[in-house]
Amino acid sequence: MIKIISLTTSLLLTLKTVNAAEAGMPQLDPTYWVSQVFWLTIIFSAIYFLIAKIFVPKIKGNIDSRESQIRKDIDEANSLKEEADKKLQKYNSLIDEAKLEARKILSEGRKKINEDIQSKKEQIEKDIQKETLEASKEIEKFKINSLNKVNIISEEIISEIIQDIFKEDLNKNSIKATVSEVMKERRN
Amino acid sequence: MATNPMHQFNVYKIGPEIKINGIDLSFTNASLFMLISAISISIFLILGTKDKKIIPGKFQLLSEMLYNFISKMINDTAGKKAKPYFPFIFSLFIFVLFCNMVGMLPYSFTVTSHIIVTLAFAMFIFIGVTILGFVIHGFKYLKIFVPSGVPVVLLPIIMIIEIISYLSRPVSLSVRLFANMMAGHTMLKVFGGFVISLGLVAGWLPLTFSVALTGLEILVAFLQAYVFAILTCIYLNDALNLHH
Repeated sequence: MIKIISLTTSLLLTLKTVNAAEAGMPQLDPTYWVSQVFWLTIIFSAIYFLIAKIFVPKIKGNIDSRESQIRKDIDEANSLKEEADKKLQKYNSLIDEAKLEARKILSEGRKKINEDIQSKKEQIEKDIQKETLEASKEIEKFKINSLNKVNIISEEIISEIIQDIFKEDLNKNSIKATVSEVMKERRN
Repeated sequence: MATNPMHQFNVYKIGPEIKINGIDLSFTNASLFMLISAISISIFLILGTKDKKIIPGKFQLLSEMLYNFISKMINDTAGKKAKPYFPFIFSLFIFVLFCNMVGMLPYSFTVTSHIIVTLAFAMFIFIGVTILGFVIHGFKYLKIFVPSGVPVVLLPIIMIIEIISYLSRPVSLSVRLFANMMAGHTMLKVFGGFVISLGLVAGWLPLTFSVALTGLEILVAFLQAYVFAILTCIYLNDALNLHH
């Protein structure tokens, strides 16, 4: 490289075709060309080695570590999301189960209550029947009793009336027979 | 002398004269500003890699953006095979960029405004890429001068054009950067001189131009570094993946 530059330099110097440096362009003055290339080579090589060996690997490391961190975080987030989904599914199935159970309990309860109501109703009906029966029996009894009492009272009244009218006693048995006969006729 | 717009490109030696075999290797202001750029790059990258945070700070973010920017540029132009040359492209881009940017400071010297510096880079890239092409593809690398799908009649003309275009790569690469930097700095200096010579009355106009030009020059400084790096990538791509 330096050889090529120095070659062109010497070429330009010997030919003296370009005298532009004096004309106003210091860039074409070859005095410090070799020096410039020399120092450029040293300084650029130094900065190249610094960049290639230290800075680029460091920056790359930073970027890679960030990317891996981000990937890790995303993976973690995804796994957490999956877990959350699973939990949600579990929760949903639990809720479904609970609903089913609640429905079951509800229907069972309804059934039980219905049965209860039915049985109570039957019981009450039975009781009512029994009580009606008893009441009707009692009524019958009262009826008979009252009839007997009416018989007796009417007998007494008759005997008293007869006594008052005829001033004599009548046979109690005949009165009784007459009353019961009249009563039978009336009942019929 | 101060009003001569080309004065800023003068090279003069600093310190003792170093001569080896009659060749002058003295440390010059150009060398000083190369060194300043290199030290600035080092400081920038040391600040950028000092912390290793998941959420980066300003300098770490900048250095990582630069890394990703160049990584993407190489991947887009030269593909995966160019990965080993990443540090070189990175160094090249950041060195040219910092030389250009340091040159934007008043009273500084722009290293890349010298044809010899840009030519040295361009020749190194050109020779390196050519050697790389022959090492990878052997004599098949000469196929680069024979585009596929060209009629046989046109082939000799096309080949000559291709060879000329290939050989002119270092020239175009170096002159592009050198001429851009030189022209920009010369213009800035010329307009700066106008501000003084026109004085308070009419000096405002060139001052406005100067401010606008400074902005433009900062853009050009970045753009030329980018163009230099991307063209290197394209040449590298030709050597690595023989498309023709």
